[in-house]
Amino acid sequence: MSTVDLHVSPLGRVEGDLDVRVTIKDGVVSSAWTEAAMFRGFEIILKGKDPQAGLIVTPRICGICGGSHLYKAAYALDTAWSTTMPPNATLVRNIGQACETLQSIPRYFYALFAIDLTNKKYASSPLYEEAVKRFAPYVGTSYQKGVIVSNKPVEVYAIFGGQWPHSSFMVPGGVMCGPTLADVTRSLAILEYFKREWLEETWLGCSIDRWLENKTWEDILAWVDENESQYNSDCGFFIRFCMDVGLDTYGQGVGNYLAVGTYFDPELYKNPTIEGRNAALIGRSGVYANGQFSEFDQARVSEDTAHSFYEGSRPLHPFEGETVPIDPEKGRKMDKYSWAKSPRYDIEGLGNIPLEAGPLARRVAAAGPNATSHQDNDPLFLDILNKIGPSVMVRQLARMHEGPKYFKWVKEWLSQINLHESFYNKPEELPEGKGFGGTEAARGSLCDWIVIQDGKIANYQVVTPTAWNIGPRDAGGTLGPIEQALVGSPIKDVEDPVELGHVARSFDSCLVCTVHAYDERTGKELSRFVVNGMV
Amino acid sequence: MASVLWLQGGACSGNTMSFLNAEEPSVVDLIVDFGMDLLWHPSLGVELGANAQKIFWDCAKGDTPLDIFVFEGTVMEGPNGSGRFDVFADRPMKDWVNDLAAQAGVVVAIGDCACWGGIPATEPNPTASTGLQFHKRAKGGFLGNNFRSKMGLPVINIPGCPAHPDWITQIIVALASGRAGDLALDELHRPQTFFKSFTQTGCTRVQFFEYKQSTMAFGEGTRTGCLFYEFGCRGPMTHSPCNRILWNRQSSKTRAGMPCTGCTEPEFPFFDLAPGTVFKTQKVSGVVPKEVPEGSDHLTYMAHALAARVAAPQWSKEDMFVV
Repeated sequence: MSTVDLHVSPLGRVEGDLDVRVTIKDGVVSSAWTEAAMFRGFEIILKGKDPQAGLIVTPRICGICGGSHLYKAAYALDTAWSTTMPPNATLVRNIGQACETLQSIPRYFYALFAIDLTNKKYASSPLYEEAVKRFAPYVGTSYQKGVIVSNKPVEVYAIFGGQWPHSSFMVPGGVMCGPTLADVTRSLAILEYFKREWLEETWLGCSIDRWLENKTWEDILAWVDENESQYNSDCGFFIRFCMDVGLDTYGQGVGNYLAVGTYFDPELYKNPTIEGRNAALIGRSGVYANGQFSEFDQARVSEDTAHSFYEGSRPLHPFEGETVPIDPEKGRKMDKYSWAKSPRYDIEGLGNIPLEAGPLARRVAAAGPNATSHQDNDPLFLDILNKIGPSVMVRQLARMHEGPKYFKWVKEWLSQINLHESFYNKPEELPEGKGFGGTEAARGSLCDWIVIQDGKIANYQVVTPTAWNIGPRDAGGTLGPIEQALVGSPIKDVEDPVELGHVARSFDSCLVCTVHAYDERTGKELSRFVVNGMV
Repeated sequence: MASVLWLQGGACSGNTMSFLNAEEPSVVDLIVDFGMDLLWHPSLGVELGANAQKIFWDCAKGDTPLDIFVFEGTVMEGPNGSGRFDVFADRPMKDWVNDLAAQAGVVVAIGDCACWGGIPATEPNPTASTGLQFHKRAKGGFLGNNFRSKMGLPVINIPGCPAHPDWITQIIVALASGRAGDLALDELHRPQTFFKSFTQTGCTRVQFFEYKQSTMAFGEGTRTGCLFYEFGCRGPMTHSPCNRILWNRQSSKTRAGMPCTGCTEPEFPFFDLAPGTVFKTQKVSGVVPKEVPEGSDHLTYMAHALAARVAAPQWSKEDMFVV
């Protein structure tokens, strides 16, 4: 029986490049360390700046989620300045956020995830030849279609925001644009094209309404076999491929989930407050831990820096958060190993625990109790979790399930815009205040905490989904979500441990990974490879 | 055709995301139709393991000819000159940049960060970030003012936060098809074919600018007027083709009612985001814009403005971009 140490380096963007170290015993990952390898210091840059600086700076934290950063940065100011939001502005913000995510769904799936399914490891699968035909980079039939069509939803973003990525058109009190009739009709036409060309024709092989009838895992299995069109669609094929090669069997993770939710009902969030946030959400927030649902409360979030390259002796709530970097050379001697902090969530009886963020977490929250009539209420993924448990495959399906859902929502929001009503209410720029803004970026919960004093930013803390997922161990030694998800992964070939790539990528962490494999006893490097992660 | 290696330093990947929005040519066209040999890219790279590492080293040692080295993101020199704020594949990224730039036929900086430091280099520049050949407007940067690539060219800067996909793809096609000689660069090493014009060139609000008619509020307020007077729009002082080559084939920030933030200029984000500067025109005596259109001065600007307001027709005071 062999024991091997794999060093994954680097694995990251947004938080920076990430390295992952993994110990393998008897062909199975026994422990893991995620190491964010880059520091950019945005929170330091924001200190002392104009209160609205976050609208310009935070989108540049991540070019993939820039619209999501803008969305939550705007709400952080809305809550700090007690703005009044015209319903139109809420709708346009919802549309922008959802279109960014609709872009990410095919772009991430084909460009970043599915090309791994063409790895030679799977050559013995009867589905391999078809996987190569569809998913091979640049030349795969679905790769080409999916990557190009991902441009379309962000064309809608550009109609309202001027450009994607990196607009700053959401401002406290509303949005900058005053759309015209043609802006709305053109958006509808672009979305219909996206649906026809890819979502229905290529991905589902059926109407989006047919797909959304699926409420259980058995429904999904029956859907695959229902007809040739669905069986041979990319979705049908993907499910069959996963079950053939075992992607439904590993990458479980912590099994505890966080969604801060996103998209507001325009009538219920006219006066954005931290307290009123959960009830106004359409895409619900919620925490699911040890099989129990609880309501999300931003006050329960803290960041631990015990193993992060920062100063600090105890976990801090983001309003009190500090970002004081330590040279990694010095930090490593203090058992620190990552530029990511470790976000934790306080649950009664469990203490500060790590939670998985992302589409699967959102889907779990959507199955929680007490949904009101305007809220997403969808039992599908809780059913799947209960039947087959989380895995690389389930995480992917959760992400892809949001395509049809968000498409319908965007169309509905477009129809609700009243072009003759207001899109902006000029707020009073209060010199003092505290704000919280949250959203669901494509890859998970994303939040800002802002403290404004004397007309400038006194503290600004951003907690990204990548931090939730790739954060290192905390002071108690508890592994972060990706660290835990890597544990238990079967590694067939240490020279080419593609399984680690699947797990890491299934979180859609904005990461580029190089994997270094070491024999634990001899320290000899066995292999080194790059896992194409990123977005 | 040309070999291209694309790496990211202190980056958000926004330029890559922008690049992926390209059509005519798309990234797929570039590779499949134009035969671009993309040796590796952080989000598109195919090679794994030893092969990927080998690509970097083969390029760095000159064993593989590297025609175009594309860099996105800042070069991080901190902490204390070590580069340890950004470690890539076991080395400070700055060491890779140094080695690869020395071997490349052409070096292209994509986006503000790689051109001159961008947002990470904003005061207090916590990572000691800089651009490849400029630090903000000062020549030098990481590679130094005298750096020339193997083809004898300085770093070609394609700024913007992010750069527009067409600026990237057209320059790559030009370089890869042997048209490097046609590239005329301005004093900031930007291709003049894109950056001679102003952001205001082609802006749908230019008639309001002509008659000095201001937008007074965001939202429906942007159905009329120009964003220069109240909202800090930098369109008349910024060089870009944002209103000649539209974004996402649809629009631009100024068309959609968002003031230009000047992101193709080295000073972006302007005024280091000091309190009172975001989306607000800086004024002298509360009236006259502190900065006037390039090549003008306060006196002529005021004379022009006075005459323009007198001449302003009624329609210039009404909504134009109506429902």
